[in-house]
Amino acid sequence: MATDLTLGPHKAAIPPDAEHLERDDRVALLRYMLLMRMIEERAMKLYRQGRVPGSFYDGFGQEAVSAGPAFAMGPEDRLCILHRDLAAHLVRGVSPTRILAQYMGRSGGPTEGRDGNVHFGDRSLGCVGMVSMLPDMMLVATGMAMAFRLRGEARCALTWVGDGATSRGDFHEAMNWAGVQQLPVIFVLENNQYAYSTPLSLQFAVDPVERARSYGFPGVRVDGNDVEAVFEATRQARERALAGGGATLIEAITMRMHGHAAHDDMRYVPDELLARWRERDPIERQERKLVALGVDVEALSAEVLKEVDAAAEAALAMPMPDVATVASGVFCDGEAEALGDGKAPWSRFRQVSNA
Amino acid sequence: MPEMTYLQAISDALREEMRADERVFVMGEDVGAFGGAFKVTDGLQDEFGSDRVMDTPLAESAILGTAVGAAVVGLRPVCEMQFADFISCGFDQLVNVAGKMHYRQGLAVPITVRLPSGGGFSGGPFHSQNPEAWFMHSPGIKVLAPSTAEDAKGLLISAIRDPNPVCFCEHKHLYRRVKGEVPEGLYETPMSARVARPGSDLVVIAYGAMVWSALEATEDLDGASIEVLDLRSLVPLDEAAILDSVARCSKVVVVDEANATCAAGAQVAALIAQRGFEDLDGPVVRVATPDVPIPFSPPLERAVLPQVDDIKEACRELLAY
Amino acid sequence: MPQMGVSVAEGTVVAWHKRVGDWVNADEPLVEISTDKVDTEVPSPASGRVLEILADVEQTVAVGGLLARIGTDAVAGDPHPDEHLNGDSGDASPPSTQPEPAPSGQRGETAKAHSHHSPVVQRIARKEGIDLDRVSGTGRGGRVRKQDVLAFIEQRSAEPSNGSSQAPLHSDSPYREDTGERPAPAQPPVAGSGEQVERLSRMRRSIAEHMLHSLQVAAHCTSVSEADMSAIETERELLGLSYLPFIARCVIDALQAHPSLNATLDGEQLTRHRDVNLGIAVSLGEDGLIVPVIHRAQELSHQGLATRIGELAERARSGRLSPDEVHGGTFTITNPGSFGTLMSTPIINQPQVAILDLEAVVKRPVVVTDGAGRDSLAIRPMSYLCLSWDHRALDGALAAQFLGTLRRRIERWGDV
Repeated sequence: MATDLTLGPHKAAIPPDAEHLERDDRVALLRYMLLMRMIEERAMKLYRQGRVPGSFYDGFGQEAVSAGPAFAMGPEDRLCILHRDLAAHLVRGVSPTRILAQYMGRSGGPTEGRDGNVHFGDRSLGCVGMVSMLPDMMLVATGMAMAFRLRGEARCALTWVGDGATSRGDFHEAMNWAGVQQLPVIFVLENNQYAYSTPLSLQFAVDPVERARSYGFPGVRVDGNDVEAVFEATRQARERALAGGGATLIEAITMRMHGHAAHDDMRYVPDELLARWRERDPIERQERKLVALGVDVEALSAEVLKEVDAAAEAALAMPMPDVATVASGVFCDGEAEALGDGKAPWSRFRQVSNA
Repeated sequence: MPEMTYLQAISDALREEMRADERVFVMGEDVGAFGGAFKVTDGLQDEFGSDRVMDTPLAESAILGTAVGAAVVGLRPVCEMQFADFISCGFDQLVNVAGKMHYRQGLAVPITVRLPSGGGFSGGPFHSQNPEAWFMHSPGIKVLAPSTAEDAKGLLISAIRDPNPVCFCEHKHLYRRVKGEVPEGLYETPMSARVARPGSDLVVIAYGAMVWSALEATEDLDGASIEVLDLRSLVPLDEAAILDSVARCSKVVVVDEANATCAAGAQVAALIAQRGFEDLDGPVVRVATPDVPIPFSPPLERAVLPQVDDIKEACRELLAY
Repeated sequence: MPQMGVSVAEGTVVAWHKRVGDWVNADEPLVEISTDKVDTEVPSPASGRVLEILADVEQTVAVGGLLARIGTDAVAGDPHPDEHLNGDSGDASPPSTQPEPAPSGQRGETAKAHSHHSPVVQRIARKEGIDLDRVSGTGRGGRVRKQDVLAFIEQRSAEPSNGSSQAPLHSDSPYREDTGERPAPAQPPVAGSGEQVERLSRMRRSIAEHMLHSLQVAAHCTSVSEADMSAIETERELLGLSYLPFIARCVIDALQAHPSLNATLDGEQLTRHRDVNLGIAVSLGEDGLIVPVIHRAQELSHQGLATRIGELAERARSGRLSPDEVHGGTFTITNPGSFGTLMSTPIINQPQVAILDLEAVVKRPVVVTDGAGRDSLAIRPMSYLCLSWDHRALDGALAAQFLGTLRRRIERWGDV
């Protein structure tokens, strides 16, 4: 994905851990993170203005955890995306306008008002929308991977899962199934330190990443606020999967900087913890890297903001859903259509159509 | 036309459909090498291999969840719950993931879930249930319950071909006790009701094993002409057929082997009370298992499951009304 | 007031960042609120001038409630207010929904009353016009079952049709066993003499004089005809009236056809009257008899006559008739028939020329001839019409014609 930004006079050497990323890719990663953050900030304002009904969740401070892995996915790969992983939707090609329409329950969003906040997935872009019982999606991803293996296809499935979700039985069933069948599935465990108000110390006795081995596949820990590191870990996992090496659990360590939802003021989180993580903001870190490469990040920011403003205006103009349709679509009446392919903006996929 | 048991008919459906459609595959506990707890899938793995007749870990939630995943990327999984009772372990995946997916996302989930249901053989509380009402109550899930061998094959084929999640309630008690002529090859039975025996004085509405009990109870009952309506499909429910039987017979007995409260028969009774009111010549009578876990000891089990005499008694009383 | 969380229902204003008259930019913090879950700033949804603040600090407002109004027409520096803020528009039109129609049964019409008949039995009965009281039930407790109604219909269609279904007829027959009243026990004789002597009352003397006088001056004849009351019967029963108002109406019609009987004779002067001033004899029990008059009775329908007769009778019995109401009659009807007498020879009410006496209506076997001339026996409610007339003023033929007309009007009641 090209940008109009010109190179500055100081072009730094490409660091070894980003050898698979070209400059445009690295800018793209920042762009997706900025887009996610600005959409969420905008949506939060709309929420406070009473225009977003229900609850509002965001992934502030965790943008790298969804932008990185999604960026490593090919068009034929399939994703199950959770509520703090908005960047993944953006990478796959869902427009900001539709996302904001989705938050506001408008017609024209991906669920046409039938589900709220980030409970959506554009099936034409290969994304499965989440359910609120979060670890359920691990099994769906495992099933998709199982189908790929049955058909001998070089594809993988990826899902995110939170630290809290690892406590439920579906986590175990998915890990076990993926391990016993050696499936091409990647579980990105976004460990953001809290499940609502429950800290890790009350959630599990042994960190899930250390337990992956007992299911028969590797667990990899990575800095969740370094988007290129998360990308790289996912890229490697995908390569392994496609080569028949089975599943990977990637634990991305990050911090949930906002409350569980907009209605949560997270007074249970110690201030010094937040202060420490504020210094490790993923967007700022990527910006610093790119500034060193001569990229005009401010211009990029301004451009993204303009895009989000335009999207908000367009979304606000979209109508509410027609109540006459409320009971339609409970069942599929025609042919079952499988998930479609999504966008794959990483330059390695450029030979694949990338409209 | 070959004659086969209800169980063989189900087997036959799987075999024929898997031959015709390479997307179809079977998954469940002990279904592969062992041929299934009831031998429904016996011989299938030899023909189709272990990928298409898959022995899964003991994990109902995973069986259903991975089936959803496989279905949304183009396969047609037929999951088996070893006993219908165990569906509760996968309830979340079936009701919240599979059932709601199309409504929310426009994404079809073409899975079939085979549920060996019902009691009558001292299976006890965890091997005798009829859980269909839980799924009638969950939007987005179809529920079928054949009573004959012919319908077992045809409805399973219909279920596999349907683009929606379908619970296929096969009654364990009928596996080897019911035999019938079953057409060869592939055919689909419509998801509608069937008049098992026409009549005019009273109609008994039932499904699954209770259809046979109803037929036996009313074959020669004081010379009365008693119709038996086999629902076959609970979702979609064949309202037109139900109301037509009521219009002609005016007296109705609804039989459930499931626990009475909110069973399928309760929905049928409510439908009749509201839309068949002017055709009624007596109250809508229900015969159902009381709200008790199905007990193990034979006299206890017999005391709770509707018996032929219970149906007879209910019909007699209503006829005299 | 925004909803900060699914279960939040209200918020409290903590602080206003703007005052009335201040300019505020879109997204600029406008007010701080506190809810159960979180304290937060509310950014302004639009740029404009704050026109009105509707919620004070410390005030709790329900979600959706109005907090402030911002004039978006305003230009910074320009003080004109207009539009409303935060969802609730001031002129929200009241919901104009009709009340939901009650869920109706699919058949449309509701079944009628009988609580002991099942819906299908009622429906069939309604459709086939069957009186369910006539259907015997074979269900529990004698309940009419569907098959009972169906059997009834089958049986009915097997019988030859005999015209309209006959409702039971009036049957004040004198031949019927007397099941009701017993005559009052006779007064015990006065101890001692065994006889009771009293002078006639004033009314009795008056009646006695009048009756004797009438017999002395008029050449009394009585002609009798009989009439089949069945045509009147249905409507009579439906309205809950006696025969009298119907007969009265028929009499009026007959008098208009034969005006010689609507006349008074004074010596040799005969006056035929235009109006029918119909006298109706009212018994006052042992005290006697009085004849109130319905003036211009021809203007009244049978129902009007019924009402008038009732009024007059009531006033007569309570002694409240005015002199006008007992004078000026041109024809009189007397109707003692409810006691079962069949025929009578009434005495003319002077100076009128005729009087009609109505006696009992009795069910009798009669010969009826159908259109093709075939005779058959039928049971009909018959009554004798007894006309006493003054041979000075008219002859038997006219009397007979009058009776013929009267009878025809009675028997063809209801014919257009």
